[in-house]
Amino acid sequence: MDRSLKRRLEARLSSQLRGPVRQRHDQTEIRIGPGDVPDVLRTLHDAVDLRFEILADLAGVDTGQEMQVVYHLWSETASDWLRVIVEGISRDDPRCPSATFLWIGAEWPEREAYDMFGIVFEGNRDLRRIFMPPDYTSFPLRKDFLLPDDAARSPGAGVRHVERPHAPAVVAGDPAAGIRRAPAS
Amino acid sequence: MPTRQRATQPDGATQPDGATQPAHAARTSQAARASQAATAKAQRQRPPEQYRSDDDPRIMLDREVGADLFEPIPPYPVRTEREAEFYTRGDGEMFLNVGPHHPATHGVLRLVLKLSGEQVVDVDPVLGYLHRGVEKICENSDYYHVIDQVDPLEYVSSLFQEWAAVLAFEQLMDVEVPPRAEYIRVLTSELLRVSSHTLFMGFLALDLGGLAPILYSFIERDEIVEMLAALTGARMLFNYFRIGGVNGDLNHEFLSRLGDWMSRAAKQTEANTGLLNENEIFVRRARGVGILDREMALRFGVTGGNLRASGVPFDVRRAHPYSVYPQLDFNVPTRLEGDSLARYLIRMDEVRESIRIIDQCLHNMPDGPVMAKLPRLLRPRPGRAWGAVEGPRGMLGVYAISDGSDQPFRFRIHDPSFLNLAVVPYLLPGNLLADTMAIVSSLDPVLGGIDK
Amino acid sequence: MTFATRTWDRMSLTSRLVAILVPLALILAVGSVVGILVILPATMDFLRANLPLVRFAVAVVGILVLTIPTAFVLIYLELKIIARMNLRVGPNRIGPWGAAMSLIHGFKVLSKEDFTPTGADLPVFTLAPVVTFLASVMTLLVIPFAPGLFGQDLNIGLLYFFAMGGLSVLGLLMAGWASFNKYSLLGGLRAAAQIVSYEIPLTLSVVGVVILAGTMSMNRLVLAQSGSALDWFAFKQPLAVLIFFIAATAEANRTPFDMTEADSEIVAGFATEYSGMRFGFFFFAEYVNVFIVSALLATLFFGGWTAPFNWPWPYNLNWLDASGIGVLWIPIAIIATVVVADVVAVAVRLVGGRSWSAPSAFGLGFLAAGVGIAAVVGLACFIAFDWVQGIFWFMTKTYVFVFTFVWMRGTLPRVRVDQLMGFAWKWLLPASLLNLFVTATAVVLLNQ
Repeated sequence: MDRSLKRRLEARLSSQLRGPVRQRHDQTEIRIGPGDVPDVLRTLHDAVDLRFEILADLAGVDTGQEMQVVYHLWSETASDWLRVIVEGISRDDPRCPSATFLWIGAEWPEREAYDMFGIVFEGNRDLRRIFMPPDYTSFPLRKDFLLPDDAARSPGAGVRHVERPHAPAVVAGDPAAGIRRAPAS
Repeated sequence: MPTRQRATQPDGATQPDGATQPAHAARTSQAARASQAATAKAQRQRPPEQYRSDDDPRIMLDREVGADLFEPIPPYPVRTEREAEFYTRGDGEMFLNVGPHHPATHGVLRLVLKLSGEQVVDVDPVLGYLHRGVEKICENSDYYHVIDQVDPLEYVSSLFQEWAAVLAFEQLMDVEVPPRAEYIRVLTSELLRVSSHTLFMGFLALDLGGLAPILYSFIERDEIVEMLAALTGARMLFNYFRIGGVNGDLNHEFLSRLGDWMSRAAKQTEANTGLLNENEIFVRRARGVGILDREMALRFGVTGGNLRASGVPFDVRRAHPYSVYPQLDFNVPTRLEGDSLARYLIRMDEVRESIRIIDQCLHNMPDGPVMAKLPRLLRPRPGRAWGAVEGPRGMLGVYAISDGSDQPFRFRIHDPSFLNLAVVPYLLPGNLLADTMAIVSSLDPVLGGIDK
Repeated sequence: MTFATRTWDRMSLTSRLVAILVPLALILAVGSVVGILVILPATMDFLRANLPLVRFAVAVVGILVLTIPTAFVLIYLELKIIARMNLRVGPNRIGPWGAAMSLIHGFKVLSKEDFTPTGADLPVFTLAPVVTFLASVMTLLVIPFAPGLFGQDLNIGLLYFFAMGGLSVLGLLMAGWASFNKYSLLGGLRAAAQIVSYEIPLTLSVVGVVILAGTMSMNRLVLAQSGSALDWFAFKQPLAVLIFFIAATAEANRTPFDMTEADSEIVAGFATEYSGMRFGFFFFAEYVNVFIVSALLATLFFGGWTAPFNWPWPYNLNWLDASGIGVLWIPIAIIATVVVADVVAVAVRLVGGRSWSAPSAFGLGFLAAGVGIAAVVGLACFIAFDWVQGIFWFMTKTYVFVFTFVWMRGTLPRVRVDQLMGFAWKWLLPASLLNLFVTATAVVLLNQ
């Protein structure tokens, strides 16, 4: 645990932090809201006493109540991994600012998070599905996604086109909405 | 704008006149009969709607488009700004579909290249042909089971993926791993790193047209893999690491094979690298190709040898030490060029360092148990953990969330090849088609890990 | 009809055979009498009257027949040599040491489905392998295998060779264009660019030799080098040998210049859409090209069929010649084989005793006698007939270069397109021009 990192984070990001800075094992965890993502990431990346230059990971999380986007960062100024949890993203209309303005490499993990959770990263200029077929209709890592053998009318029933529900659920503002074909009659 | 779209008329609109006006159909004129026949023929030629698979690669096979037959243009409206930009052809440009079945794509990678002559103008990698939903499967299996689910992800060096998962779980459960187990983990995985890097050398040479090195690589890999098979029982998907230790102690066969191999490993490595390092054609093809500078490498989140070849000494074993690496003496080789040759040389240097580490492991290995005491059913307290190890291709991470049940609530796998491959659209433009293979191959992607 | 079938059904096997064989024998007898009396003299007269034409026809047939075994041998050699270089075993299942592997390859290629892709330009697509194959095969016509053993002795033999060699690019281009596949197209374009570029240094490097020999006839080029190895043009034109070797590698599309079928880049280049025997033609053409290029290298720079040292040949073994005991030596060899076999068998039985059964002793005897007599006869032929000697030296030299090509394939990676072209225009072309200039100057100065 890196106590000084905690102090530095609290000093730099006091206004944006939601809840305390938590530390466990070799990880330091902060929570922020989706609106603060660009500012916080910019501060973490640029501030001379932080300089978190390496984006280790970008993950989407569906807690069942809300969506989260989790960044793991590394810096040579700290001995801990820094975990930035963006919490409070609505499940019905999940939106989060993109991190591609800092790390171009975040483009593909964001595409993956969109593919798996439907989180729309605003500012990512290539937000399309990356693993699933382009006309796939649901988001498989969401907690309400049942595996296709559980129920043919579950949201997961897009896996085989014969099981596709009559009207695919449309996420508001989903860029993929336009490409969905009408189900085969 | 898309250059081509699916024919706008729906199938119903091409009905012959006779169908809508049955009265006229009774006294069919010559012209109506001809048009009917033409429509029937058109319908026969077009594959029926229900036979169109949703899973097929989006290569247009419809006859209705005519001249643009077989163009790798997606048959749906463009989804993003970037896709629109890519699929707009400039003057004298053509699309070339490389993969998913291509001799040099290291698995089922598909690259849609926009070419101007032999020069690559732009590239759009298409992933997902090997997607198995491992993260979802892991969220539906218990903690012990996860280890063999993640095994086939990075199939060339699967111990590292196991290690990342195990590391995250051990943090979730606050397990103390016995030191002997830690040494065995380091020993086996460094062996696998040697194997993986040697294989990389062979495949790089193969993609540049050299036939011989790949077979020399496979001889090395086979010895290592047989050695590990004596220890773990499997040649490829080892399933050897456990939460709190490893599956079994070192045995005699493993150690005797290892001793044999170690007695000539360093010399053999030099001989094998000599095949390529002293080859003028190889060096000329790899040098100055696909240059990734320090700034861009950091912005792309590239890790592993690819990042170190660009001059950033980021190695998780040193940058954020885990296991017994702080007690071991090894260097983190870096280079400044950032081209394909540097990425190759970095890996060859790492092989030498790995052999040093293996030597130290063998000399320093303590006695003791190889497993911590753990209950049969694991139910960690709710919490979040991130475990990252330095694999042969870069940082392998696992982000695990526990909700107190016996299955991980969220199991996120971070594969280095995924971000390393994301550099391809940046590196390729401006290079020749032949360099595509030199660059992609020097990044050393493994599609099993990328597609998850 | 029913009568005939019923009669046939009632006949015994012997009478059926007789019913077939007797009319056949009658027809053959009458036919042969007519043939000997009428057709043969007329044919012989015709053949005598048109000897050049006959020679040409025989040469064409001979070369076409020769092509396939040559390709088979080369394919097998390549498989086996590269395997040994890669620490593999290579083909080892079919025939002794897998030697029939390429034969089976040939049958496989013949029996595979031969499909045409949608959108292909069918006539061009079909003609392309034929053009490539024929272009390679026709160059064999002017290569002198031995004294007196050549298809045609053209006085512009070398020019003919390059003309035919240049034709093969047409086939590749046709294949690349007609396949309706972008990989094929890229391969075809690469082939065109590469072969056209390398043809210039290839041709220019040979001009020096032509100046030295004062002829373009392949036979006279070989004769100009007769004597010992020191008379070879390789020592008078070392730079030209190097240029020719490199350019010829590119011309034959061999590693490290196999851009046209770079499998890791453009799948199989111009041959991507070809299958079955159409692909087989490309395949054979490639190996025939290797042979031809090696043969040309041997002919132009390494003395062709001449011996590398002053060999007192043809040694006059009159008693072996037709004027001596003539063809009698064939029955003599057979009888000698039998006698030696018996002697060896008896000796083995006497020495080895009961551990050798009679059949195995005779088997050993026949083996030893056969090998021994064959060696003796071969040596005698080698000494007596200059064409046997010529073939021996020619093939030895050619296969040394074939081995070099295979060796390069097993060792070297592939160069890039721009490096390839840059090398041709920036290095090989100036070097060959320099070589030409130096040679011409030297010839002028020395002749004055």
